[in-house]
Amino acid sequence: MAGERGEEGGEEGDPNLKKRAHAARSRLIVRLGAFLVSHSALVSVVCCVAGFITLFLLPVLAKHTYISENALMPGSANPLFSSQDVNEANRFIKGIIHKRIEKEEAGIELQKFIGQSIADVGAEVHYHKFSPHTNHFNPLHFFSSTSNTARIDTNNSCASFGVNTVGIIRAPRGDGKEAIVLVSPYNSQNMEYNEALSLGLAFSVFSLLSKVTWLAKDIVWLAADSRFGEYNSVSSWLNDYHNPIFSRDSGNLDSISNDCHHWNEIRIQGANSNFFKRAGTMAAALVFKVMEKKEKGDRDCLTMYAEASNGQMPNLDLLNIVHYLAVHRQGLRVKIETMGSLLNSAWVKFTGEILEGVSRLSKSLNPQWKFDVTTADYVEGAATLASSMYYQALGVPTGSHGAFRDYQIDAVTLEFLPRFYLRNENAQSTFLLRSGRLIEGVVRSVNNLLEKFHQSFFLYFLTAPNKFVSVGVYMIAFALLVAPLPIVAAALFARAKANEITTDDCAEKCTPIDTKESEIATGSWKWLQAAKVLLMIHSWAVIVSLLPYYISHMINLNSTMSMLTWVSLSISTLPFLYALFGSPFSLNVEWELLKAVMVATISIGLGLMSIINFSTAQIGAMLLVPMSLLVHPLKAKMNVNALLRAALLTCNIAFAFLGFPPVALLVAKGLSEGFGKLSIGDFWEWMEFLWEWNSATYLYLLWVQLPCWLLCIHILLHPCSRGDSRHKQ
Amino acid sequence: MAIDRRRPKPSRRSHFVIRETLLLLFLLLICAPSPSSSSSSSSSSMHNNNWAVLVCTSRFWFNYRHMANTLSLYRTVKRLGIPDERIILMLADDMACNARNTYPAQVFNNENHQLNLYGDNVEVDYRGYEVTVENFLRVLTGRHDSAVPRSKRLLSDEGSHILLYMTGHGGDEFLKFQDSEELQSHDLADVVKQMKEKNRFKELLIMVDTCQAATLFSQLNSPGVLAIGSSMKGENSYSHHLDSDIGVSVVDRFTFYTLTFFEKLNMYSNASLNSLFASYNPTLLMSTAYYRTDLYERPLNEDRSCSSYEWLKVLQDRLADEKSDTIVMYGLGTMILLLTVSTWLST
Repeated sequence: MAGERGEEGGEEGDPNLKKRAHAARSRLIVRLGAFLVSHSALVSVVCCVAGFITLFLLPVLAKHTYISENALMPGSANPLFSSQDVNEANRFIKGIIHKRIEKEEAGIELQKFIGQSIADVGAEVHYHKFSPHTNHFNPLHFFSSTSNTARIDTNNSCASFGVNTVGIIRAPRGDGKEAIVLVSPYNSQNMEYNEALSLGLAFSVFSLLSKVTWLAKDIVWLAADSRFGEYNSVSSWLNDYHNPIFSRDSGNLDSISNDCHHWNEIRIQGANSNFFKRAGTMAAALVFKVMEKKEKGDRDCLTMYAEASNGQMPNLDLLNIVHYLAVHRQGLRVKIETMGSLLNSAWVKFTGEILEGVSRLSKSLNPQWKFDVTTADYVEGAATLASSMYYQALGVPTGSHGAFRDYQIDAVTLEFLPRFYLRNENAQSTFLLRSGRLIEGVVRSVNNLLEKFHQSFFLYFLTAPNKFVSVGVYMIAFALLVAPLPIVAAALFARAKANEITTDDCAEKCTPIDTKESEIATGSWKWLQAAKVLLMIHSWAVIVSLLPYYISHMINLNSTMSMLTWVSLSISTLPFLYALFGSPFSLNVEWELLKAVMVATISIGLGLMSIINFSTAQIGAMLLVPMSLLVHPLKAKMNVNALLRAALLTCNIAFAFLGFPPVALLVAKGLSEGFGKLSIGDFWEWMEFLWEWNSATYLYLLWVQLPCWLLCIHILLHPCSRGDSRHKQ
Repeated sequence: MAIDRRRPKPSRRSHFVIRETLLLLFLLLICAPSPSSSSSSSSSSMHNNNWAVLVCTSRFWFNYRHMANTLSLYRTVKRLGIPDERIILMLADDMACNARNTYPAQVFNNENHQLNLYGDNVEVDYRGYEVTVENFLRVLTGRHDSAVPRSKRLLSDEGSHILLYMTGHGGDEFLKFQDSEELQSHDLADVVKQMKEKNRFKELLIMVDTCQAATLFSQLNSPGVLAIGSSMKGENSYSHHLDSDIGVSVVDRFTFYTLTFFEKLNMYSNASLNSLFASYNPTLLMSTAYYRTDLYERPLNEDRSCSSYEWLKVLQDRLADEKSDTIVMYGLGTMILLLTVSTWLST
């Protein structure tokens, strides 16, 4: 930059400047920097285009997954799960269905039945009681998901408790330091047949594991009572597991519920079954559910859900062993979520066709190049990648496995989808055999593990159940998108400086400056004015982000009203702040400086966000970077032809529209889940959804995207009067 | 004896025939002083004892096969006659007592589970974290702390034949010990040289079953050493088969086929090193077995009466050579001749 300044403002007779320019010349890095800055427009266009191209190439660059950890050895042992265990499962299912029919108002009968079955197998059993904790907006709890321990309200009747049943098999020759967790959620109040099936599956695997001799880790089976939501039951159990309560409350857990006679029944039944029992550190957790079949398929299906809060993923090895065993041993079809709207999208298909053409061309040039792309593969890869990215970016877990990730435990949800109708006995038996063997295989493989999962990737996107894009590859697209930001900021700053020097020359001749105030306004500290505007708008964004906390405390507000209150409060805060600090227009800030400062903060904001949740930063960069780089005052003159100017203006307006956080959210949501009926209240619900799950995406939307969008609007509407007058001079 | 020395011995290297009978051993022992006294070089003394150092260098359940390899070899050398007090067994982990073992306290090297390698009478000298590069070097060089018991020492002398068997994970010129240390080819060469200088062996057979095993021998330059590796540079050594009950691979290919060869032998059988080499089939091994024999050929070959390439002696205590057999025959004949001549002269 120094070189730049020396070059542009280099007066003939100034030896000082010349010397400085000379010093700068001698250093390559400075010269390189100056070169990039002086060609900032070209650099930013090239980088942005390259960034987008890399992003679209990601499905092609995906690699096949492989099992990285030697110790796992999936499928090396024959499964022991046999038809006998299937009979066991069927007996259990019949029993539990019978219990449900027998007792209409299912109190705690189901839990008792499960507990009794666990005890019969010879394992330890205990009941975990929890109350639903409603999610509140906690402004300071974004990155600590260990929510406050749910205080049990003494006034609660037993109807408002959920009761988890937990069975623990101690590894006969293990050291008891580690455990593998199996979770099967079911609704104790209104149990469906498929839930009974998943309980039966879990029980049969559990009873098998209680007999095997190869256990090195304890097995914990959590029959999670999902009457208050699956996630809720699992997370409260995990919370109690990891945060032992030492106060007298813990011992009195049953005294609290003395009025609840169901609870007393359980207490009588098993000694010590009310004490919270623990096994060792959890090595991995498997959540499995059996779903009711919707469409006919030729094979039993298995869908994996892995995304946890804030885009965290379990270790890829866990998904690999599940996939390997399911596909190569049990012949299941493994699926992961895809973005349905992209599967039929003409644009994606078109890109795929282009890539296929390129691959054919490259093959004709040199048959040894391995660049094989087919349109169908590309479309499917792109749709899966987009959904993988979207669910990571949302920062909300896709199932109860997310609760485990908060304790750094690798967990995955397996959703089984049988080929036939569930009631078909034969089909049910073969289905149970397969899925039981799969679960046994995964448990045995994890049991072989000697350390935590660490060999494989934690940062990845999936483009198919057996294909992934690792962090090293997908970083490139983001880096290319973000790289021009500092360069453009420097270029804008330098240009403003250069203008300033020329105007200062005039100013010294025309009017003498006397007051200090005006010196700041016009002198070399002028960028402070821009920084002030930036600070003001960011503080406005912080206020906006905190407003929901107060709004949610107001009672009797439906979502539409809340949203309207929020919007109106936010808008009314802005003039107030303007009055306090002076509006950007009255401060006479040059738009170039404002843009420079804005671009700099965007690069900082995106950089920070990429550490917290990469996918959010990646998707955000796709919007923010073009928007902030293209933004140009509508009134400013440009030395380009009319067509380019019109295109630029259209782009500006389009990006300003798309960049508005609610619109961006709407588009992302619509692409992944389909556009449905929409009302203003929906936005409020989405926001509530984000903060309830402590998603950092909420912070990103309100602290990075919103202020930047507002600044862009300011720049678009900049009067440019000063600039014009300067040009006249 | 002069006649014997001048006897031409064509294709000597390729002809390692061994025959061992108790009778011959007896004869050998009787006439032992005569060749040693006749041979001028003091470095070559009689072969009089056999030792084995068997090392499994890797830990962890998924390396079950390395322990099984070593235990199988332990069983074989014991069967062929080396007593426990002359075997140094180093096992880095205890698979038998691993919680994941479906057969507690048993180790198998075959999925038919016919043979429990970890039965009675297994004396492990160095176990678990005692299996370090340092301890390995100490055992070979004999530089022990004074507190180390005799059972943990390699008490060999200049008449010893030593079998050194190592298995684990290796790479180009190194062998990994316990995931934390490495034995490099330089270390091995150095320790063998020290052993030679300290007269700790007469003949040393090194057998290594790791990936790129051949590279481990590249620095060896002491005479009397014969080295066999499971694979060449750049090759992997593979496991032989998986036991789907236990859920791990139970034996490595090279060791498996070596054992198959030995299983056909007994204490009295005729077998040559060549037949062992010939038994290695690269397609079955999925790697190329490597033999380094150049150090084994000594310049004073002809001086030795009863020494030749009977490396299998290492495995068999009471063992003699066909050559020595004939030599002894000739010796006896000469003696009888001399006796008759002397009696004739005296009369």
